[in-house]
Order: sequence, then C-alpha cells, then structure tokens
Amino acid sequence: MSKFFRSFVFVAVAFSFLLAACGTSAVPTATEAMPATQAPAATSAPASAATPTPLAPGSVTLTGTGSTFQFPAEQAYAEFFPGVDPAVVINYTGTGSGAGKKAIIDGTVDFAGSDAVLNPDEITAGKDLQIYPFLAGATVIAYNLPSLDPKNDPKLILDGKTLADIYMGKITKWNDPAIAALNPKIASKLPAQPIFTVHRADGSGTTEIFTNALTAFSSDWTAGHGTVIDWPTDKAGTGKGGNGNPGVTAEIAKNQYSLGYVEYAYAVQNNLPFAQMVNKAGNVVTASPDSTKAAMTDFANAFTPQLTAVIVDAPGANSWPIAGYTYIIIHQTSMTDCVKAQKLVEYIHWILTNPAAVKYATDLGFIPLPNAVQQKVLDTLGKVTCSGQPVHW
Amino acid sequence: MTRFQQLIAVNEARRSRRRRVVNAAMLSLTGLLTLMALVPLFWIIGYVIYRGAPVLNVNFFTQLARPVGMHGGGVLFAIEGTVVLAVLACLFAIPPGVLAAFYAARNPNTPLGIALRFSTDVLAGVPSIVMGLFIYGLVVVPMKHFSGFAGGLALSILMLPTIIRTTEEMLKLVPHTLREGSLGLGAPEWKTNLSVAFPAAFDGIITGFLLAIARATGETAPLLFTALGNERFDIGAIIQGGIQAHQSLFSIIGRIVNQPIDSLPLTLWTYAMQPYQERIDQSWGVALVLMILVLLIEIAARLWIEARKRALQG
Repeated sequence: MSKFFRSFVFVAVAFSFLLAACGTSAVPTATEAMPATQAPAATSAPASAATPTPLAPGSVTLTGTGSTFQFPAEQAYAEFFPGVDPAVVINYTGTGSGAGKKAIIDGTVDFAGSDAVLNPDEITAGKDLQIYPFLAGATVIAYNLPSLDPKNDPKLILDGKTLADIYMGKITKWNDPAIAALNPKIASKLPAQPIFTVHRADGSGTTEIFTNALTAFSSDWTAGHGTVIDWPTDKAGTGKGGNGNPGVTAEIAKNQYSLGYVEYAYAVQNNLPFAQMVNKAGNVVTASPDSTKAAMTDFANAFTPQLTAVIVDAPGANSWPIAGYTYIIIHQTSMTDCVKAQKLVEYIHWILTNPAAVKYATDLGFIPLPNAVQQKVLDTLGKVTCSGQPVHW
Repeated sequence: MTRFQQLIAVNEARRSRRRRVVNAAMLSLTGLLTLMALVPLFWIIGYVIYRGAPVLNVNFFTQLARPVGMHGGGVLFAIEGTVVLAVLACLFAIPPGVLAAFYAARNPNTPLGIALRFSTDVLAGVPSIVMGLFIYGLVVVPMKHFSGFAGGLALSILMLPTIIRTTEEMLKLVPHTLREGSLGLGAPEWKTNLSVAFPAAFDGIITGFLLAIARATGETAPLLFTALGNERFDIGAIIQGGIQAHQSLFSIIGRIVNQPIDSLPLTLWTYAMQPYQERIDQSWGVALVLMILVLLIEIAARLWIEARKRALQG
C-alpha cells in the first residue's frame, strides 16, 4: 500500500515538474518577443484607451475559425495585434468557410472567417450575424502548355465566354479557333491536344468565386454556382478535382495541356504561369492588386444589406473579372461579454484601418479594401452593440 | 533387404527430402513476409526522420508559430497542448476506468458486468471522430466555446475501453490463492483489492494506461470539434500574466484548460494542409517530435516498471 502510495506521489511530482519546466522554458520566449511586437504599438493610437482599468496581458482570447484563404492574414494579425493591445490573444484556425459559418451560428467562436456569403437559411439560424468584407482575392487561371516558353512567349489570353465553354466541354482542343483568335501571337504554338480541366475537389470559396464568374460570363453556363458543383467536364472525362490550391496545382503540373483555377496569392508565391483575361470592357488585363482593386471599386455600391457583394465580371476598363471578398462574421447585437465585444470591434477596426495591418496582408498577396468600400464597412461596424450598449473602437 | 523394404526406404527418403524442401520453402516465405511486415515500420520511421530532422532546432521546441512568410518559429504551443490534453484525459479516464474494471473483474457474470464488457467493446469500435462530435454537442455547444477541457474529455472516452479492458484482464490474472489468502486472514474485500490485487496487477495496468495515452496523443479527429487548435497557446505567458494580475492558482489553471488548445497531431494535420513549403517541412518535424514523445513515454514507463520490479524483488 505504502509503495503504491509512494509511486502515486512520484507520478504527481513528475507531472508538476514537467508542467513547471514547460512554464519556465516558455517565459523567455514571451519576453524576448515583446520588444519586436511593441514597436508598432508606439506608432499607432492606444486602442485600449477606452477601457478604464488595464486588463492583464493575454487575458482576452478572441477565437476565430473558418476560411483557409484568409488564414495567413489572420495569422499575421495574431502575431502583431498583441503588440497594439497586450491584453488580447487572437487565435484563428483554418477549418474551411463552411466550418467557420457553422461555428459562429452555434456560437462556439467569437468570429468566423468565410469566403462564401451566408445563405438565407444560415442568416435565419444565426439571427443577428453580420458579415464584414475586409480583404479580397483574385482567382487566376493557371495552365500547363509545354509548347509555350514561359519566358519569351506572351501569356495565354482568355475571355469569359471561352473559359465558360472550356469548362462546359464545348471547347475541347487547345487549337480551337476561339482560343486562337484571342492569341494571334502564339496561335501557331497552340497544339491540337485536348484541354484537361482541373477544379477544386473540396468545398471552397474559390470555387464559388470562379463559378459566379462563369455564370456572369456566359448564359450557356448551366452548371450553376456554389462552393461545390457538378462539373460538366468531369462527366466527359476531361476534368478532375484537386484538394485545395496545392492539389489543383499538382494536377496541373501532372497533366500536360491542362488548366485550372487557383488563388492569385498562391499562384504568385509558387511562380505558376497564369492567363490574362479579356474583361467586360474588352481590355486584356492581368491579375494584380490594382486590377482587383478596380473591380472592388466598380462594385462599391453593389453591397447587399448584409454587406456582401459579388464582384465578378466587373465593367471597369482595368478591372480583373474573377475576384471575391473574404469576410469576417460576428454576432452584431447578441454578444454579452462586453470586454470581448469591445476588443473584437477594436481588432476588426485595426485590421481595416491600420496601415501596418494593411501592409501585412498586402505582402501576403491579399488586396485591401478601396476607400469607398472601407467606409461602408466601418459604418456597419459602428452598429455593433453589447447588452444594448453601443460598442466603439 | 526385401524388395518391399527397399521400396519403403526409397519412399521414406523421398518423403523426408520433400519435407525438408517444404520446410525450407515455408520458413523462407514466413521470414520474407515478416521482413515485408517490418518494412513499412522502418520506412515510416526512417522517412519521418529524414524529412523531419532538418527542421528541428532549439527554436522549434521553445517558440510559438510564426506567421507564414516569416521564417522560423516553433511548435511549443502544440507540445504544451499535447501534455495538457494527456493529463486532462488521464484525469477523466483513469479513475472511472479502473473502478469499472474492478467491478467487471469481480462480478463478471452479473447483468451490469456483462453490459459493461459489451459496451466497452462497442465503444472501442466507435470511430474517434464520433467522440469528437459527441463532446461537441454535449460540452462545446452548451459551453459556447472550444476548450482543452472538451478535448481532454473526448480523448478520455477514447482511452476508456483500453483502460477498462487491460485493467480487467490484469486483475483476472492475479492468482485466486493470493486473494483467498488475504480474505482468509480476515482482510475485508476493499483492502484485498487495494493492497493485494491491485499491486499484483500494477505493472500490467500501467502498461494499459500507456497504450491508452499513446493512442490518445496520436489522435487528431476527436480534437477537431473540441480543442479546435490554438497557435497562440503559451502556458508561460498565461502563468506570467496571471501572476501579474494576482489571479489565484485555480483561475490560472482554469484559463489553461478553458481555452482552445492545440496538440501535435492536430498541428501536423493543419500544417500539412497549408500551401506553404516551410509549413509542410515543419509538419514533418512535428511528426518526428510526436514519434519521439510517444517513444519517450514508453521508455520512461518501461524503466520505471523495471525499477519497481527490482525494488519489489530485492
């Protein structure tokens, strides 16, 4: 008995040592990270001035989950926001837009990230959910054409109608007259090979943006739009799904004479060749922060009362035609923990307006809101209440 | 030697040669298949070391994650989270598991004993993601947030069948004469269980705990809906902040277990899914750390059991 008791004490002591060791080893990390993160704090306005008594460092955890697309940006914010307000810890996990929306409807997180908008059922279930666009991303068409020299040959050019026809299975060969007419300089290099189309296999906000665009481009596109659809080319045997951006990229790399859609930031980071597009105004445009911003400005007044907007097939002269917003979703009136509500609103305000925060996202390939849109979002953010009291940043 | 005897002798020789050939063939076949069964094991270990070792450095064990695009950073949050989750899961699973096993071992043929054994077997076959969903509905949604507490609970349900079954089997292996001796000397039932049966079965029971812990620490699925993940989890900072704010020990522990938490397998899964090469490299490092951690638990426990055996004998 006493031996058993002694061994029990041993286990307890061992565990407490283990925990203590973890604790002490972690302390230097926290302190050495401090000087670096406090630098931006000095330049930006003290965000916690509104709260009367200073909160303990790291005492407010804001938990968010959802979109994997905005994950890198959220991660950068999580790294730097504690430098602005040491009381706050931001914890964002990338579980997918659908999972994020489910979590905020269930009320198990403080905010959700989503690239897809809330559908009517979700708005009913979530009661007071408010959606805030804070960044946008462009979607590009990456291709694998071994007959083209990526350095010396001009980039492939496509227009909306042709792209929709390719994904419908109506245009099946690379040397189709429609493609050749768009690419007179490289027409001779377009092979008589079948076009293999790649798409996302998982439910994805990128698919929603892309299919929104195809729907806008062509009345012949009958496969609908959404985060997951039935692809006509899959049925014809000339299409295949890939999991996430990496999966799509891998399929494109594996299959010669293929094309597929990926996020702009991802294509840039991985040096994929991607096509230029003829936009609604008839101009050849390249995906870039500027051309996406132009599309956002075109649709600055197209927001629904829920503050969502579809920004594909933009009419502007220099607007990139396949783009979409990524959103943060919060409960607008039903939050009861007012300290949390306060910090959450301060956090979203910081994301939207702080130049450093905007730069973190831009460096990662995201496109920040143009002023016209930003003002709209801030107006809505001002309507957040907690226990009936307005919350200000 | 008659003609008949000659025939028998030839036949014998032929048969024994055939037996030898068959023996050699079967032996080499089983040997080959054994090797083939071992290949995946060593392949996995070797490949994880090959891919994981280059990213391991001091920072990997002492720092939190850095945003993608900024190099370096570590998985301290996941290591701490794994330890916290394992401790919580043990706290939730071991007391009821051991008590249930005592009941089942002493009353194997009562309705409750039969029901217990049956439900343990069923529970062992339930996919681990179902445990996560179960706790999501039972704990996470009513509590309105993901937490290490919920994660520990989900893992503890996963550990229960292993703990109950191994403890029960080990208790059954204790010789009847030992129990009868104790009872015959006038010790009450509870004392017999606690000071005779339990110590005699102790090594096996601990081995069962370890198997359960090793399985639980390697699980991702039950944590997806319960622990969620938390790359900013930092016990050191929580304790430091708590001391600064003069919080009680109880509320500091509360803050550790009451917020979303990460674990090594969960981090491995999220890192491997990300479109950034450095994250994917780091996920191999996480796999290696997880392997080493499970190995260390095993080795430490074996050493402890050996030392205990020696102490008991000498």
